[in-house]
Amino acid sequence: MEEEKVEQAVLAYLKSKGYRQAELAFHDEQQRLRHSGSQTSDTAIDSSIANPILFYAKSDNDPNRYKEGYSKLRSWVYQSLDSYKNELLRILYPVFAHCYIDLVGKGFTQEARDFLQRFREDHEASHVRDIQKLEGVLSPQHLHESELVLTLRNNKQSVKMCQYSFELLLQYLHGTDSMLMLGIVNEHLNIHVLPGPPSALPKDDEVVAQGTLDYLNQKEIRWGALEDSLEDKFEKHNAAALLEKDMAGKKDGEGEDNKAKVDGKAGGPSNKKAKKDKASTAGPGTTAKSAGPGSAPRVKAELPMPTMSEEAEKQVMEDFRKRARLGSNALPSVSFYSFINTHNSLNCASISSDGALVAGGFSDSSVKVWDMAKLGEQKTIAGSVTQDKPPTNGFTETRETALEGSKSSYALLQGHAGPVYAASFSPDSEFLLTSSADCTVRLWSMRLKTNLMGYKGHNFPVWDVQYSPVGHYFATASHDRTARIWCMERMQPLRILVGHMSDVDCLQWHVNCNYVATGGTDNTVRLWDVQTGECLRVFNGHCGTVLSLAMSSDGRYMASGDDRGAIFMWDLGSGQCVAPLMGHTSCVWTLAFSGEGSLLASGSADNTVRLWDVNASSKGSRSEEKLSATRHLRLLKTLPTKSTPVYALKFSRTNLLLAAGAFSPSQSAKATT
Amino acid sequence: MSIVPKDTIHVIAQSIGIANLHDDVAKELAPDVEYRMREIMQEAVKCMRHSKRSILTTDDVNSALSLRNVEPLYGFASGDPLRFRRALGHSDLFYVEDRDLEFKEVVEAPLPKAPLDASVVAHWLAVEGVQPAIPENAPIEVLAPPTETKKEGPRKDDESAIDVKPPVKHVLSKELQLYFEKMTELVVTGADTQLLRDALVSLATDSGLHPLVPYFTQFVADEVTRSLDDFPLLFSLMRLVQSLLLNPHIHIEPYLHQMMPSVITCLVAKRLGGKGIVNHWELRDFTASLVAFICKRFGHVYHNLQGRVTRTLLHAFLDPKKALTQHYGAIRGLAALGSRVVRLVVLPNLELYLRLLAPELSPETQQNEMKRYEAWRVYGALQTASGACMYEKLKAQSFLLPSSSRVALKSTARVATTNAKHQETAMDISPRKRIGAADLEQPPQKRPHLDTDNSIATEGRNLDGAESTVQLEPREGGKAPRIGEENVLEDSVRKPSKKGGKSITLSEAWKEDGDVGPLLASLVDLFGEGMLPFIPSKELSSFI
Repeated sequence: MEEEKVEQAVLAYLKSKGYRQAELAFHDEQQRLRHSGSQTSDTAIDSSIANPILFYAKSDNDPNRYKEGYSKLRSWVYQSLDSYKNELLRILYPVFAHCYIDLVGKGFTQEARDFLQRFREDHEASHVRDIQKLEGVLSPQHLHESELVLTLRNNKQSVKMCQYSFELLLQYLHGTDSMLMLGIVNEHLNIHVLPGPPSALPKDDEVVAQGTLDYLNQKEIRWGALEDSLEDKFEKHNAAALLEKDMAGKKDGEGEDNKAKVDGKAGGPSNKKAKKDKASTAGPGTTAKSAGPGSAPRVKAELPMPTMSEEAEKQVMEDFRKRARLGSNALPSVSFYSFINTHNSLNCASISSDGALVAGGFSDSSVKVWDMAKLGEQKTIAGSVTQDKPPTNGFTETRETALEGSKSSYALLQGHAGPVYAASFSPDSEFLLTSSADCTVRLWSMRLKTNLMGYKGHNFPVWDVQYSPVGHYFATASHDRTARIWCMERMQPLRILVGHMSDVDCLQWHVNCNYVATGGTDNTVRLWDVQTGECLRVFNGHCGTVLSLAMSSDGRYMASGDDRGAIFMWDLGSGQCVAPLMGHTSCVWTLAFSGEGSLLASGSADNTVRLWDVNASSKGSRSEEKLSATRHLRLLKTLPTKSTPVYALKFSRTNLLLAAGAFSPSQSAKATT
Repeated sequence: MSIVPKDTIHVIAQSIGIANLHDDVAKELAPDVEYRMREIMQEAVKCMRHSKRSILTTDDVNSALSLRNVEPLYGFASGDPLRFRRALGHSDLFYVEDRDLEFKEVVEAPLPKAPLDASVVAHWLAVEGVQPAIPENAPIEVLAPPTETKKEGPRKDDESAIDVKPPVKHVLSKELQLYFEKMTELVVTGADTQLLRDALVSLATDSGLHPLVPYFTQFVADEVTRSLDDFPLLFSLMRLVQSLLLNPHIHIEPYLHQMMPSVITCLVAKRLGGKGIVNHWELRDFTASLVAFICKRFGHVYHNLQGRVTRTLLHAFLDPKKALTQHYGAIRGLAALGSRVVRLVVLPNLELYLRLLAPELSPETQQNEMKRYEAWRVYGALQTASGACMYEKLKAQSFLLPSSSRVALKSTARVATTNAKHQETAMDISPRKRIGAADLEQPPQKRPHLDTDNSIATEGRNLDGAESTVQLEPREGGKAPRIGEENVLEDSVRKPSKKGGKSITLSEAWKEDGDVGPLLASLVDLFGEGMLPFIPSKELSSFI
């Protein structure tokens, strides 16, 4: 079959060029061969010859080849291995541009336009200007006039990639008959093969990434804290009290200065907020960004909010009142929950907001919940003895204590059918959500200690689950490259957030519940609008998988930690990186902002909890922000643990830092022996 | 092209029964195999990350396979890491050892111990930013401060960021108080029980005891002064001190100056333990080693530590008014400080001291048996000290000795031993020496030039009175042993001159590059054959 096609193509070519003699000779020979019937293998045409012949025969008259070839290449790149994807993505734009130019050059204006419309979204982020220019190129004559086209055509664009990426690309281009794409790559691209492992994000691409941000980040984000949240109420309450005092003291508002002094006496950081709150009470309409510098605006939630019982509210208010003030001079107390005897099977840990409940998800599909309040002191003392002794001694003693009193020291929650990868307590500690490799998320009642619900929707392991700050809603992140928003009472997800190029590894709710941030294996962090499901921001900068996220309580900043130990602070409003925080030497498993956002705590696989000062950046006014931010973000304290990687961190409402991790003595044993 | 060579594909094909795989097929398959493997590893690493581990396990690979809908690999789930072995005869061929297991054995084997159940333990990682030194926390590195200052370095340019810390109130936790109470009680009452031994081990190994150090130091000081005649208590106290010193988590340097007096007391006190208790020698020996340990471990931090200790001990040693027991302690202490110290301060004074000691040793002059026994103890200690020092020196120099001096050494030794045979004790040295001294009247040329013992040495000489002339150096004889000329040594008949040479060699013993031969000879002269065991066997053999 193929041969006939080839022959026809050759004939058509000869005819079109008017090579009469050659045509005749070809005919004769054809006839002779047919007669002799010697269709042996050596006359069978090699496909490597046939393909180009066929391709050239076809290419002239089939504009759809471009679309097909490009979309195939594109989907192949998107499906390639994560570590090489970044490099392969770089060839897409030049190939795209040249396809378009070719189409225009051949006079297929309509097809060219279709092509551009179909794929422009991919490149709009980074090359919006160029695409707008290309759009204007509509006829072959334009090609010689457009500066952009000329530069594209006359210069070979250089793309850097590693050896293996290059091999993959060649393999694909040769293997799938995509001669057109191969031609473009050969003709217009200059591929530099670099030795060594694939580079995550080279310098020149970072410029491009900036462009991405500029474009995407034009969309408005109302990053303020939640209006009418308990914290808000508490602050208002405080402010009102202060205001009354103030009014009683001085008839005239002689100046903010005096008031600030009074506030200063009454106590530190609340004075700015108090000021702001007064302003907001004065003008209740101004809820958006317009509030003064250094204060967090309040934003109305776009979701229907669950209500809270009066009693619980009181309790929370009480906690806020007791909140310890933290800063560079006042570091928090850290209570550490060590999981012992886990035999490397603990996958995740979660701590309830009051620190009373600790949940651990294990690789044997079980979830265990400890009630620390009930465990009491005797247990802790026993435990401390065991940790301290050499392993042989310690183990026998734990056995005894385990037999003695703690047979039911924890509640065992069984239901998952695969390793449990994440757990999250509801804000009121009534419920626990767990996600697992069995593609489900389960809801557990802490009162009944049973499973209430299994949420099925993801098709692949669910890496992370997070309750929203108000409860009721939760979000999940999965290997299937989506994140989903759920509410507790529905079987089906409310929103599906699609956009990550690879696994979504972690997620975090914004404090005002209108946004969700996700971090993925594609080294980006994205911010999504919960209401519309749109992606609003892409934060580029990490060089490794993003493993942990945290939102500051004023809703303005976000921190993200990756598997290389880097932590980045982002300004949600501008989408820019405020500062990188370097110090950890291994995966940053967890991040947490302190209650009023002055401290950031990070826990890592390098067995440390680190405390960072982020106070200046969140309080400084905007003009000096850039200066102060880089100067003031600093490591305050490194707290090494005893060979315990830190899995979870949480600031309680009273600003006590709660940390959890699995004691893994094997490392220390190796070190000592 | 691919990191998987096509031979590998051939081998795999053969293993599943495809004998004649075409080369091209293998070539085509190799890149795909590589790709699939990379894919599986990528997924496995994801699973590892989400299990919050940093070590990839076979479980991760299996879950990666199941993510890709591939049957997992069975048989690798055991907890142990795989043991790869090198195939014989191939440099880079490895295989996984797969032992045959007897089914019966597996069935009949006793059940392994059930693993301990997971549990959660809470502790304070930090209290207001300060890590309490409790066992649950990582031990605070004693020498950590430098790194911290480095971190704080860039802050200096930042005025607003100066941390003002309120004064910290020192509070002992209830547990620590209890620990201290129990410990002191044990030390006071339970001498040498198993319980005490365990307690001391705990004291020597536990972290988090640092807050108790000042209390323990105070306790030791109080108890030592109060109960000098309670031997078991003193011994326990010294062991307590030892445990504290051994504990790697305790930063004890600031308390050393409080600790040392008590320790030194236990070494050189006139009377340790009640009357009639004989084994206070043991306590002195123990304390001596303790002193040496302290000097060794903290000597580099406190440069004058060893000097001060040496001076104190030397005072005790050279003061003839002090009791023999005190002398004994001092000698032991000095000996424990190492051979250098012995050479430096003991040997130069050795001859002099032995002369003083002599009357105490013989039954004729010292009737009190107790006193005599003490004297012999002191004699023994001196012998051990100088012997050990000799041994060190010989060891160090044995390979350096030039052959000529080796011969000299040999001859000297022979002479010395024959001498020793003739002498019943070392006592009769002095009369003979006096003769020699009378013969030669020349000013002493060499004196011990040590800042630590200069005064003491002169003092000692003054005490000697007339005998101080002994240190005069006979010119020819004095040179002879040092130069190592055989003929001079051979005529050992010239005893007086030799004696004179001995004293000078002794006083010069502190010199690092001094020759060993003469020194040894003089020591053998002083101690007789008792010295011989201290000579390394190799050297000894060269004598005979």
